[in-house]
Amino acid sequence: MDLIFAWLLIPGAIALAGALVLVVRRRRTGEEAVPVAHGDRLASLPSYQRLVRRQRLWLTVVVLSALVLAGALLFAAARPALTSSQRPEQRSRDIILCLDTSGSMSRADAAIVDVFASMVRDFRGERIGMTIFDASGVQVFPLTDDYSYIEDQLARARDAFDRRSADPAFFEGTREGRGTSLIGDGLASCVQNFPRLDTERRSRSVIFSTDNYLAGTPVFALPEAADLAKAKGVRVFALNPADFGPRTTNEEALELRAAAESTGGQYFPLRSTTAARSIIDQIQASEATATQGSARGLVADRPDVPLGVALVAGAFLALGLWRVRS
Amino acid sequence: MTSLVTKVKTKMFIFAHRRARTMLDGEFGSVFRGRSLDFDDLRAYVPGDEVRDIDWKATARVGSPLVKRYAAVRKQTVLLLADTGRNMAAVSRGGEPKKEIVLMALGVVGYLAHRHGDQVSLVSGDASSSETVPPRGGEGHLELILRRVDDAVGLDAGPSDLTAQLAHVARTVARRSLMFIVADEAAVGEEDASLLRRLAAQHEILWFTVRDAELAGAAAPRRSYDVADGGYLLSLLAEGGEVAEDYRRLVEERSSRRARILTGLGIVEAHADSVEDVLPALFRLLERHRRAR
Repeated sequence: MDLIFAWLLIPGAIALAGALVLVVRRRRTGEEAVPVAHGDRLASLPSYQRLVRRQRLWLTVVVLSALVLAGALLFAAARPALTSSQRPEQRSRDIILCLDTSGSMSRADAAIVDVFASMVRDFRGERIGMTIFDASGVQVFPLTDDYSYIEDQLARARDAFDRRSADPAFFEGTREGRGTSLIGDGLASCVQNFPRLDTERRSRSVIFSTDNYLAGTPVFALPEAADLAKAKGVRVFALNPADFGPRTTNEEALELRAAAESTGGQYFPLRSTTAARSIIDQIQASEATATQGSARGLVADRPDVPLGVALVAGAFLALGLWRVRS
Repeated sequence: MTSLVTKVKTKMFIFAHRRARTMLDGEFGSVFRGRSLDFDDLRAYVPGDEVRDIDWKATARVGSPLVKRYAAVRKQTVLLLADTGRNMAAVSRGGEPKKEIVLMALGVVGYLAHRHGDQVSLVSGDASSSETVPPRGGEGHLELILRRVDDAVGLDAGPSDLTAQLAHVARTVARRSLMFIVADEAAVGEEDASLLRRLAAQHEILWFTVRDAELAGAAAPRRSYDVADGGYLLSLLAEGGEVAEDYRRLVEERSSRRARILTGLGIVEAHADSVEDVLPALFRLLERHRRAR
């Protein structure tokens, strides 16, 4: 509990003390008291003594409740408030899920979406977008931190991958390029999908799921796309469903790994059970500096207690003034 | 500084416009029982003179009533007795300082005594001490007496004690005299009663009560304090109801007790609430004293 205008207490207390002094002075000097003799004529009466006791009691009530009232109002005027500083965690990490939907991936895609969905459940604050590509990249949904929307979209993607015929519109626009499985182009379009790529410094990652089986002539070869990503500060985490480990031998997998690692990212065979978790850890460990939002002070006024006390004291004051005879 | 005696004389002069001033003299002259038989001269009758002093033969000759004047064989002494404790600095029922009323009463009686050719003495004091101004004649002496009282009475004076003054008179005054006691509404106790009994046997006593301010009811001052201990009195609590009733009963009881004791001793009492009251009250007092005999 803090007082916003704590300085107000000092002039307030001085004013209160001054008012008290004035009241006492006025009592002393005000209406001239008359000297009388044989006051025992009145003072010795039991009925008078009873009334005096009652008068004293109510006077005490009046004085005390006036003091409490003034004090409580002064305290309320000093604005008691709960202050707290909040450091809103602005996770300025952007993640684009980049999914190869070419024929060679068709069996693995649903599982990959599952992995994505499990990752999304662990993210909080990050913005996530999704792009699918075959011959050309298509944005499924842009970067957003609306997780329920993301989950809806991933569920839709999963359904679409389960039965391609059920939702052909999902794949609309992915076959516009020359050939299929243009891996480099796909990565490049995913990288380009980050907004304000050149102006805003954020942690950007692409989770890039592909088997790297190229069938056509891409504009960007995979290393070129990786270079672009590196130049733009985007890290690529590759997920390869066609790598059956433990030792990666085939050429495509090696190329993919090299591409991913050249951007500062990592390569995971999809079979690896820890893949989803470690990708998330890696991404979340990145660039903590950029994630801290500026601290914001929160002030919540709490005048209820002093004002409640003032109300009660006011009630007692009114009662006392009514009972005191002057 | 105006003379206190002059002030008294002025008041008496104003009073004389309403009643013949000589009437007071006549009343005062009749107070004394012991008169000489030496015939002095005749003078015109004024109301208040003893009827038995009228010289009927001379009256028949002249056609208007004449009274015989006797030369006093011995000088009478008028003993003024006043409490000069701080009670007398308090306020009277009429709202004036009681001291003013005391001074007026002492002054009038002293002046009448002076005109009558008597000597005036004073016994005054408070609980701590009593003092006596020995009997002497003359206006200057009266002025001294009044000034003594005027100076002694104040809020810083000692506590009031009329009993001490009565005891002082009983102890020190041997000569028979006319005692004029100025008191307030103090309760008259057993000790006072026995002292008065003792004094009444020796002296002629006149009792003059200066009534104290009311402490209850609508006439009570709004803010007051007791001069005895400085304690504030909340008269506003006693404007009515049970307290006012109790107060009225207590005051009634005290004054009836005082009246009973005084009447039992053959002492005549009068009371005044303000300076204006003093002369009529004194007139009544002298009148009643004469009748009481």
